[in-house]
Amino acid sequence: MEQASSSLSLQAEVFQALQRLHMTIFSQSVSPCGKFLAAGNNYGQIAIFSLSAALSSEAKEESKKPVVTFQAHDGPVYSMVSTDRHLLSAGDGEVKAWLWAEMLKKGCKELWCRQPPYRTSLEVPEINALLLVPKENSLILAGGDCQLHTMDLETGTFTRVLRGHTDYIHCLALRERSPEVLSGGEDGAVRLWDLRTAKEVQTIEVYKHEECSRPHNGRWIGCLATDSDWMVCGGGPALTLWHLRSSTPTTVFPMRAPQKHVTFYQDLILSAGQGRCVNQWQLSGELKAQVPGSSPGLLSLSLNQQPAAPECKVLTAAGNSCRVDVFTNLGYRAFSLSF
Amino acid sequence: MSSESSKKRKPKVIRSDGAPAEGKRNRSDTEQAIEIEERRIQSCVHFMTLKKLNRLAHIRLKKGRDQTHEAKQKVDAYHLQLQNLLYEVMHLQKEITKCLEFKSKHEEIDLVSLEEFYKEAPPDISKAEVTMGDPHQQTLARLDWELEQRKRLAEKYRECLSNKEKILKEIEVKKEYLSSLQPRLNSIMQASLPVQEYLFMPFDQAHKQYETARHLPPPLYVLFVQATAYGQACDKTLSVAIEGSVDEAKALFKPPEDSQDDESDSDAEEEQTTKRRRPTLGVQLDDKRKEMLKRHPLSVMLDLKCKDDSVLHLTFFYLMNLNIMTVKAKVTTATELITPISAGDLLSPDSVLSCLYPGDHGKKTPNPANQYQFDKVGILTLSDYVLELGHPYLWVQKLGGLHFPKEQPQQTVIADHSLSASHMETTMKLLKTRVQSRLALHKQFASLEHGIVPVTSDCQYLFPAKVVSRLVKWVTVAHEDYMELHFTKDIVDAGLAGDTNLYYMALIERGTAKLQAAVVLNPGYSSIPPIFQLCLNWKGEKTNSNDDNIRAMESEVNVCYKELCGPWPSHQLLTNQLQRLCVLLDVYLETESHDDSVEGPKEFPQEKMCLRLFRGPSRMKPFKYNHPQGFFSHR
Repeated sequence: MEQASSSLSLQAEVFQALQRLHMTIFSQSVSPCGKFLAAGNNYGQIAIFSLSAALSSEAKEESKKPVVTFQAHDGPVYSMVSTDRHLLSAGDGEVKAWLWAEMLKKGCKELWCRQPPYRTSLEVPEINALLLVPKENSLILAGGDCQLHTMDLETGTFTRVLRGHTDYIHCLALRERSPEVLSGGEDGAVRLWDLRTAKEVQTIEVYKHEECSRPHNGRWIGCLATDSDWMVCGGGPALTLWHLRSSTPTTVFPMRAPQKHVTFYQDLILSAGQGRCVNQWQLSGELKAQVPGSSPGLLSLSLNQQPAAPECKVLTAAGNSCRVDVFTNLGYRAFSLSF
Repeated sequence: MSSESSKKRKPKVIRSDGAPAEGKRNRSDTEQAIEIEERRIQSCVHFMTLKKLNRLAHIRLKKGRDQTHEAKQKVDAYHLQLQNLLYEVMHLQKEITKCLEFKSKHEEIDLVSLEEFYKEAPPDISKAEVTMGDPHQQTLARLDWELEQRKRLAEKYRECLSNKEKILKEIEVKKEYLSSLQPRLNSIMQASLPVQEYLFMPFDQAHKQYETARHLPPPLYVLFVQATAYGQACDKTLSVAIEGSVDEAKALFKPPEDSQDDESDSDAEEEQTTKRRRPTLGVQLDDKRKEMLKRHPLSVMLDLKCKDDSVLHLTFFYLMNLNIMTVKAKVTTATELITPISAGDLLSPDSVLSCLYPGDHGKKTPNPANQYQFDKVGILTLSDYVLELGHPYLWVQKLGGLHFPKEQPQQTVIADHSLSASHMETTMKLLKTRVQSRLALHKQFASLEHGIVPVTSDCQYLFPAKVVSRLVKWVTVAHEDYMELHFTKDIVDAGLAGDTNLYYMALIERGTAKLQAAVVLNPGYSSIPPIFQLCLNWKGEKTNSNDDNIRAMESEVNVCYKELCGPWPSHQLLTNQLQRLCVLLDVYLETESHDDSVEGPKEFPQEKMCLRLFRGPSRMKPFKYNHPQGFFSHR
């Protein structure tokens, strides 16, 4: 009898091992207290890791495992963002909210679940990017249906729909000064939207610029980051730094592999994409460092800059594996958390 | 008389007197003569008186004597009388005592008690009025009655004896009848053998088998009993037989004297051999090894018949010195199989039963005590000998009731029926599924080697009608070669590529695109799915480390295998996975976005119906096929 169950458990073991091999972590989000990191994968699971435990001096192997893992969505969790009390996760067409305080307990349920009004019902479009607009206390969702939806976090209603992209939207970025949203999509254009007027203000078609276009990779814009006047974007075309007002590319970063995530950090630009490494660029276009991670390709970077937990100030990178690399110092990979 | 004697004396005296008288003669002669005469007369008178007295004395004496004598005689007579009387008295007393002690036989008879006697005896015997008063008569009456009764009982006894004689004679007759029946029954049984075979009820055979089974060693006996029981109760396709030489088995248990004789013989032989060249150490060691690995002459053969008439022949052996059981397996099919090149290992006796239960590779001996025995004779490991001895799988030991617990080393492990019974059913089922899945794979491999992926009609719904990519190659790959491939590192690192697995390489082509798929086939197929790792050569080399879509394709066959299992017992899994790979390659090639900078049309025009070409941050292609609408979408 015990051998029959042991063959079943071998089956389960092999299945689990295969799942882990084929896992992709799409999104990460740091808790408001800064001590926990949430990661969402392609099976719809969210795992909460305790950064403080993993970074402490008595960290053991179990500290690198999630504190809790639960099934959040039916489809992949493409995007997550944290407010000061909630974790918002989005995947196949819906947004769910979770209370950070509740999530550490097992069997927690979402606070609410909303679906923006879609045009087509044939296929449920995915939500690729979430963006919080703190001034308006609203959330912007964008994804497969080529539109940006704005949702008021207080009431939960969908206030605006911004149309303009011709293909699905990959990424969003917020320009704080004048509340504008930048969106980059599969159609190769970065569009700027004014939130107050709900109109498209500026369009940059990256692929049309010769310096940065790379036709063999495609024209899609996979990642966006903005620093008010400046914007860096990458994807099919090369990673380029743009001056927004003049819509001109100022620096093209010599990175062959398409980048999937880019962010400004201090005076550097950090990017990651196809290829193992987290790339650190000077604003002048020089590659400062390339720090290899453990995944063959990276999809998201997260900087824990929460003021409440300065000891957990780390960079975490995740992508085409079940591991989240933790960089305590941008020079090397300290260790990896794993699903 | 006294006077005579005195007279006689006198003359003497006178004579003597006469002589001296002469001396004194004359005067005094006359006075002396007168005095002598006087004295003579006086002395004569005295003599006379003396005589008289003497006489008187004698007469008195005599009288006295006579009187005494008479009295004495009287007394004697009385005495004699007394003696006689006493003697008679004694005699009589003796007689009396004898008479008194005389136990008449009648006193030895236990007579019935008085009350009973009076109750039962008929009145003419008991004669109560007479016997009551007179004990003698009573006793007589009772004796009478006793005699009566005894006569009656004697009669009865004789009757019974005669009855008994009669009955004994009847029994004799019947015995003879029965004994004459036995040879007739035997002849009937002989005659019925063909009928038994015709009706599939081989009782005779079974009986003979049970006889042989008595000589089996305990673990084989446990296996035999449990397997026969299971076969009769649950599974008609299982048949059990005993093979080997019973005489040799009997010879193993000769009594000690014989073995002593053998020893002395062998001693003599040994002496002889030492006189010749001593056998080399290696040969000695070899002999010792052979002795250690000796098998019991009898073996149990199990035949498992499967639905398609293929049979799994299992022969179980018992290694006596090591106290473990081994098994040799062979698969025969109804029709002869042409073995495709890649299917060499599938049904080979060495590997067909490998890992029937997870981790049970059968290369190591399950009995921890064997290690010490091996060290003595220089055997490193049993795996060198498994080809000829058979595999000592753990489930084989369990079926023989042998349990070797790792935690508590036991002195002697005895065969246990309950252990065997609890494992019999699962093991038999696993064996059957194993054989069937291997045979199914065998057939499928034959087809795969010809470039056709055999998809059964009930699995057609998983795939679109038109699949352009084709399987062009299907070969086996050695374990070491698999480990060397650059795109299989993940599987190796995850520990899923052990040496008990079988490895294959498939090549799928369409146009200029070539997709290599390295396959890990676990012996536990099909409950454990085969694992694929892909490498696409088209416009560069793409593997899961540099192309997310290749990763997604692997995920489609590795992780989502449950959809591809098909109807139980999921023998279609491998072929469905291969077909799916072909479909995925089609989708991949057709949905590749066109590179505007390059001249010319797309090599693969899009023929698949897809809702969207890319989705999600990884820009996944639509790999999921939807039936029956027939379009592709994303997971």
